[in-house]
Amino acid sequence: MKRFSGLVTGLSRVLDQAAGFFLVATMVLIVVNILLRTIFKTPVFGAFEYVGLLTALVIGLSLAYCGVQNAHIDISLVVDWLPARLRDIISVLINIISMCFLAVSAWYVGAYASSMMDSGLVSPTTQMPTYPFVYLIALGMFVYCLVLLVRSIESIMKAAFNR
Amino acid sequence: MTSLTIGLIGILAFLALIALRMPIAIAMALAGFAGFSFMVSPQAALNMVAKEMYSNLSSYSLSVIPMFVWMGFLAYYSGIGTKLYIFAYKLIGHYPGGLAIATQVACAVFGAICGSNTATAATMGAIALPEMKKYKYDTSLATASVAAGGVLGVLIPPSVIFIVYGMATEQSVGKLFMAGILPGILLMLLYIAAIYILTLRNPSLGPAGPKSNWRERIDAMRGGLGEVLFVFVLSIGGLFAGWFTPTEAGAVGAAGVLGVSLVERRLSWEGFKKSLVDTTRTSAMIMFMVAGAVMFGRFMAVSRVPFELANWAGALALPSFAIMAIIIFIYLVLGCLIDALALVLLTIPIFYPVAVTTLGYDPIWFGVIIVMVVAMGVITPPVGMNVYIIKGIVPDVPLEVIFKGVWPFLIAILVCIAMLMVFPQIATFLPGLLSK
Repeated sequence: MKRFSGLVTGLSRVLDQAAGFFLVATMVLIVVNILLRTIFKTPVFGAFEYVGLLTALVIGLSLAYCGVQNAHIDISLVVDWLPARLRDIISVLINIISMCFLAVSAWYVGAYASSMMDSGLVSPTTQMPTYPFVYLIALGMFVYCLVLLVRSIESIMKAAFNR
Repeated sequence: MTSLTIGLIGILAFLALIALRMPIAIAMALAGFAGFSFMVSPQAALNMVAKEMYSNLSSYSLSVIPMFVWMGFLAYYSGIGTKLYIFAYKLIGHYPGGLAIATQVACAVFGAICGSNTATAATMGAIALPEMKKYKYDTSLATASVAAGGVLGVLIPPSVIFIVYGMATEQSVGKLFMAGILPGILLMLLYIAAIYILTLRNPSLGPAGPKSNWRERIDAMRGGLGEVLFVFVLSIGGLFAGWFTPTEAGAVGAAGVLGVSLVERRLSWEGFKKSLVDTTRTSAMIMFMVAGAVMFGRFMAVSRVPFELANWAGALALPSFAIMAIIIFIYLVLGCLIDALALVLLTIPIFYPVAVTTLGYDPIWFGVIIVMVVAMGVITPPVGMNVYIIKGIVPDVPLEVIFKGVWPFLIAILVCIAMLMVFPQIATFLPGLLSK
């Protein structure tokens, strides 16, 4: 279990580092586009589209590590009042429901990507295929799912142990 | 079952999920998905989830969020805040309460390059609290003044909450930013007045610090104020002048802070890497929540709950300011329980049609009011985010001591809101110039 949890954390961190790289790339692209537009009157062709697609990578790939750091906002106020035993059981249920919903969503985002690939959908300006970006969002969601799986197992063990 | 009933059940189910500690983003998406499947079809709901996930994450207009978030974190790690604080306190630190007043000035100036109240409070807390401790400031006043000062960070542009409000209501981010400037300065002055009155009545709360001469003050101006002004004029100025889109202004701001920090060798490689991790984390949190809110909003739209509520509010035999006061009161209560950004995303689809469409309030003015009201929640118990951040900086100070010091600042915010209700021009004057 420890190895699996370490593996998921490591994988999330690698995706997050890639997201950091794409963040820097987005900023550089925007600034270069402004400079070229102002000085040489020749903006980067399709910069608008690239920025959107790069942002999708920044966010999609950092979803999981955000989950590892417990940074997706939740409200603990009500649950904190409950007895520890009940709190553990609720935590198990909520983790499992969240994980299942995210798994189904990730699957359908993937299906959406493959339908884009089959229909040969490209972005309107640069004619670039968009499906790889959608697949990467699905990947980010899938790894976030794994983070929630680890959380679910941990919460089940905690609930069992507390008894 | 009528669509209205399904809508109300959906809202209750959503509230139950967040009360049971499901992450708000997932709870909104799940409630939106479930409601949409029930009212349209499960297949349509699955397609809706996949499509909204992609279209929101890849939206150019939302790409402004990571840019401004990064700009704020770069400012945080570069230590520009330290220089700002030193300048402000050399200028006014020798007056009673001067260090707490200097904190407000430094927060307001730092707010011009940072769009987050927590980052502003964290930056200033780390610098100002040790100084105030050195000069034997009352712990309640010292800690609460930093926590409250963070609110200036979201009112003065750039501001992440304004961006999210702008996205949710399709209002211009540039106009919203501009609308925040005068209320931000007004709130800073009200904070200063609050500190002045407190220390006038009881000088031992904030003993005077040492007086600096003008040479020291001019020296302190270098290396903080100039840089902030440069980045602000370039980024936010460029946005106001119409040279940049909001996303471009954010990227220019991040590049500006990065450039200034590199030239002055303030930012270590470690600091740079930390700024990236913090930015991807915060942006993922915000944008996942935005996507969830859009899914929930799609369900709300087919259920017609917001329209019915707006109609109902319009038919009430109450004057519009009374309904507005009720809305503000609801926000105050919810703001104590729910994170500011989440609250804006959750409630805008419901209250915006009431306030703007039915009652006819100015959408930009309403945005400023909302930002101020939800920002009060970051310093009120039990979940005042800024108070917890300050607690993290000074772990030996009990939470109650900080919360006890907060009330004069809360009164200042309430006075500011009241002034905005009476004189809406404070918020609408500058954006009005922009549209001429």
